[in-house]
Amino acid sequence: MMRPQPYRRSFGDLSERTLALWLLLPAALLLGFVALYPVVRLVYTSFFQYQLTLSPEASFNGLGNYAAALGDPRFWNALKNTALIVLITVPGALVLGLGLALLANLPFRYKWPVRLGLLLPWALPLVFVGLIFQWFFDSQYGVVNDVIVRLGGERQFWLFKPDLAFIAICWTIIWKTSSFVALILLAGLQTIPKELYEAAAVDGATRWQAFWRVTLPLLVPSILVALIFRTITAFQTFDIPYAMTKGGPGNATETLAMYVRVTSIENLNFGYGSALAVLLFLLSMAITLVYLRYIRGAED
Amino acid sequence: MNPFKNPRIWLWIAAAIVVVNGFFPSVWIFFTSIKGEAELTRIPITYWPEKPTLQNYVQAFREQPLGRYFLNSTIVAVGSTVLCVGVASLAAYALARLQVPRRNLIMSLLVGVSMFPVASLMVPLYQIFVELGLRNTYLALILPHAALSLPVATLTLVSFFAGIPKDLESAAMVDGSTRLGALWYVVVPLSAPGVFTAAILAFVNSWDEFLLASTLLPAKAMRTLPVGIQLYQGEYVFPWPLISAALVVALVPLALVIALFQERVVGGLTQGGVKG
Repeated sequence: MMRPQPYRRSFGDLSERTLALWLLLPAALLLGFVALYPVVRLVYTSFFQYQLTLSPEASFNGLGNYAAALGDPRFWNALKNTALIVLITVPGALVLGLGLALLANLPFRYKWPVRLGLLLPWALPLVFVGLIFQWFFDSQYGVVNDVIVRLGGERQFWLFKPDLAFIAICWTIIWKTSSFVALILLAGLQTIPKELYEAAAVDGATRWQAFWRVTLPLLVPSILVALIFRTITAFQTFDIPYAMTKGGPGNATETLAMYVRVTSIENLNFGYGSALAVLLFLLSMAITLVYLRYIRGAED
Repeated sequence: MNPFKNPRIWLWIAAAIVVVNGFFPSVWIFFTSIKGEAELTRIPITYWPEKPTLQNYVQAFREQPLGRYFLNSTIVAVGSTVLCVGVASLAAYALARLQVPRRNLIMSLLVGVSMFPVASLMVPLYQIFVELGLRNTYLALILPHAALSLPVATLTLVSFFAGIPKDLESAAMVDGSTRLGALWYVVVPLSAPGVFTAAILAFVNSWDEFLLASTLLPAKAMRTLPVGIQLYQGEYVFPWPLISAALVVALVPLALVIALFQERVVGGLTQGGVKG
């Protein structure tokens, strides 16, 4: 049967809306099934005493799991480690990333080697970076100790001493994440008009003054974006310490995400693991809200 | 004449710092992979490989199912990329072109979902896929990987679709094409760079992901490269010949994608970041 020009009608309000909803449906289903439903279920499970190694049954526990977390020294230790990683690696990556971006922004004739120098660390899987740096920090055959010994220092047992392991992990995270920061900041640097530098030079400003008075203020939006992204991902740190130390020695380098995994997947304690995961979730979402408010503000 | 007065020298030094910083770990693991075990366990260590050998690569494939890990990673990465970009294209078209109620709320929700901590999702996803009997099937990882890349892919595509003149679509529809036809034949080809960017980001994300891969596909025959290689540590006293060779094998496709499409990747990354 011939239908007379059904396509014109789709410009009408109603069917355009319907079409839009149909187009959005697959995305809604996918995100609903793999992201939203799991979050609801996570919160639900967090109110239950549910450990498969003890009993296949879940029993309602109210806020008991959260109370248990507040009295759990291992939770506080993991939270402290996570916070330290945020406080050390976010500014660290920002400073190193800014340095790399300023260098990469120089007028090279061939841009691709420098661009690849930033892209490669970004693309490397976190676990691989962890493994490679574990090899760097190997106490016997590692390149770090070799350099130290050549310079007249002493061999260090990097990944076997709590403080040294923490330093090695932070160093690795800073190296890995500074490339992402540098790429964001480089894009920001490239939007700064050259005329501003020429004007500054005419006014007799030194390069140093131009950096503080022109570059840095105009780079603030990019810095904020990089800062917020890095902070959110730093709270979720898992792969690099997991690959390098598994959280050891003891629990000296265990992060919140690692404790969630040990509790739920390895010990099959889903109730308590879910409560810990909810706390991690709330931390991340709190920072995300700040971020959303920031981009809203930037759009206005 | 003092060579440091020449600005070209400083350019070279600047480039060298960025390049060495970025490449050194990868180059070092490659050097490690072509040194024999005797050379690797010598003190002081050698920097330049003395007797390059491919022995570690032979071992890496012979002692471990590295080829299988490679296949698993490829299936999951390609599957989730196709699913993600397909679903994201439809959603992005609606958001960029059609009247969507509460459009800003949906966009904000997308940003919010993209920030969900994977470690939190891991717990319920584990339970859900165990209950569905899908743990240790590719689908168990393809679905979450597609979903995790979906928000950024959608936001990237929205900005690309928004840049395509509406007249082109209208012309196609006047010529008797349906809206979906116009999407497929007009909008998609014109936004191919955007689709491509979204696809590369989704591919790299999936290829790199560890936490969900190790939780949802732990069986030896189902492991992806990061999961499989990470476990060598527990199986060998001195795992580095095998780990280094396996890492190089796993990094080759990634390095190729990055080297071939560097401008797309940089564009996608910075755009997704700044525009949110």
